[in-house]
Amino acid sequence: MERDAIKAAIIRIFDEKFEIVDPSADDNLRDAYEFDSIDAVELLHEIEILLDTQLSQAEKKNAMEIRTINQIVDYIEALAQDRCLAKSSGSEPCLSTMEQ
Amino acid sequence: MMARRVVITGCSAITPIGRTREEIVRHLVEGISGVKKLRDDGLLTAHMHSGVYGTVDYPIAYDFKRSHRKTMGPVSFYACQVAKEALEASGLDPEFITSGRLGVAFGSTHGSPSAQRDIYKTFFTESKQRFASIGAVDYLKSMVHTTAVNITKMFGITGRVISSSTACTTSSQSIGFGYETVKYGMQDAMLCGGADEYDTTTVAVFDNLLACSTEFNATPHLTPRPFDVSRDGLVVGEGAGAVLLEEYEHAKNRGAPILGEIIGFSCNNNGGDLILPNIQGITRTIALALEAAAIAPGQVDFVSAHATATKMGDVIEAQAIGSLYGDGPVVTGLKSYMGHTMGSCGAIEAIISLYLMEEGFIPPTLNLDEVDERCAMIRHAVQLLEQPIRIAAVQNFAFGGVNTCFILKKFDGE
Repeated sequence: MERDAIKAAIIRIFDEKFEIVDPSADDNLRDAYEFDSIDAVELLHEIEILLDTQLSQAEKKNAMEIRTINQIVDYIEALAQDRCLAKSSGSEPCLSTMEQ
Repeated sequence: MMARRVVITGCSAITPIGRTREEIVRHLVEGISGVKKLRDDGLLTAHMHSGVYGTVDYPIAYDFKRSHRKTMGPVSFYACQVAKEALEASGLDPEFITSGRLGVAFGSTHGSPSAQRDIYKTFFTESKQRFASIGAVDYLKSMVHTTAVNITKMFGITGRVISSSTACTTSSQSIGFGYETVKYGMQDAMLCGGADEYDTTTVAVFDNLLACSTEFNATPHLTPRPFDVSRDGLVVGEGAGAVLLEEYEHAKNRGAPILGEIIGFSCNNNGGDLILPNIQGITRTIALALEAAAIAPGQVDFVSAHATATKMGDVIEAQAIGSLYGDGPVVTGLKSYMGHTMGSCGAIEAIISLYLMEEGFIPPTLNLDEVDERCAMIRHAVQLLEQPIRIAAVQNFAFGGVNTCFILKKFDGE
C-alpha cells in the first residue's frame, strides 16, 4: 500500500469517524482538533480494519505518542512492513497486505 | 453544623408533554396526555403485553461539539441539554461554574441501555467484522454515572459529583442530596436532576412483574390512571429534568432569578421487601420531610404524589397521605399526563410544581374518572383548581424500598 493511499484512507477515516475534515499533515491533532486518547483507541480499531490485521498490545501502546497525520502514516507503513516481512520471512520482496 | 437556605435559580425539562414551561402548562391546562403507542424496538416489544409509553416525540436541536458528543449515549444528550438550559437560566458566570464551588448530582436508572445493548451485541452476535470489539467510548456512554460526568465535562464543573441510581427515586435523591450539600456548606451550588432515554428493558421488567398498564394499548392517552378504579398499572416513559440549587445569600447577592426554595428533604428505606409498597416506610418519609422543613402538615397546599397507577401502590400512598395530612392538601398524580419517566420523574415533578406555584393553579389527575374508594380519604384534584400553592411536597418511591420526599416553598421575596 503506497503512502499516498494510506494517507487518503486516514483522511477519510478522520472525516467519517471523527468529523475532522482534511487535517494538515503536521498539525498536532490534540491541540488542533481535541483528538484525545479515546479517539486514538478508536483510530487503532480502524487501522486494524484497514490492514485486516490485529494489533498487539505493544503496537497499540507505541501509538499513544503519535500526534500528527504524518506520524500515523509512518506508523501504518511500519505495521504493514512488519506483517509483510513476517509473512515472507524476508526471503521475497515485500508487498503490503493491501496490495495482495 | 450551620444550615443555610437553598433556593432554585434555574430549571429545565424534557418531558412527554413538552419542553418549555408554556408547552408543559398548556398540556396540564388542556388535559393533554403525552402517552403514546410504544414504538417497536425490533427486540422486546413483540414479547411484551404493554404497548404504551410516555414518549418524547418532538425534535431537540442539540449543538454539542464532537468532543462532548462522543462519550454520550441518548440519556446523556437529554441530561446535558437540560443541564445546559438550567445553567443558562440561572445566569451563573463561567468563572463560578468552574470554580469548584458548583457540584453535580445527576443520575439515571441504569446509564444508557442502548449503549449497553451495543456492548452486548459485540459479545452475543456473530459479526462478519473480524475485529469487532467494545468501542473505546462504549463504557463511558453506558456507565451508571454517565449523565453526571458528561455534564461536568461539558461545562468544566470541578466540584462534587453525586450520581444516584435508585430507579424511581434517582432524581429526587439527586435534588435531596444536592440540597443537603449546599445547605451544609460543602458546595455553594449544585446542578441536580435525572434523565432516562427510550428503553424497552425497563418496560419489560415491569411488564414481567405484571405492573404495567396493558388494557389501554389502543387508547394510550387513557392510561395511566392514578387512584382511578380502572387503573391497571404504570406506563414507563422517558425524559429529563434539571434544577440549579444555590445558597440563598449567593443567589440574592448576584440578583439571580429565584424560582422557589427547598425547605426540607427526607430519604429512608422500607427495610424489607424490595418491591412491595410499605405504608410504614412511606408514612415515615413524609413525616421526616415535614419535620426537616419544620412545618405542620396543615401548611402544605399541594402534594405531588408518586402515584404510578399500580393496584396497591396508589392505595398505600393514599393511606399514607391521609394518615398525615387528612384531606387538607390537594393531591395530583402528575404521571397521569406523561407516564413514569423513571430516573427523571422526581426532577420533572419538582419543576412542574414550581411552574404551578408561579401559575397559581393545580391540574387534576388525568384519567381520574372514578376514585377508588380505597384511595378516597385524600383530597384529589379531579378538576383544574385556580388555587395558589405556597408549599408543595414532592414524594417518590422506588424499587428497593427507597422513599424520598422534599418540600418546596414559593419564594416570597425574602
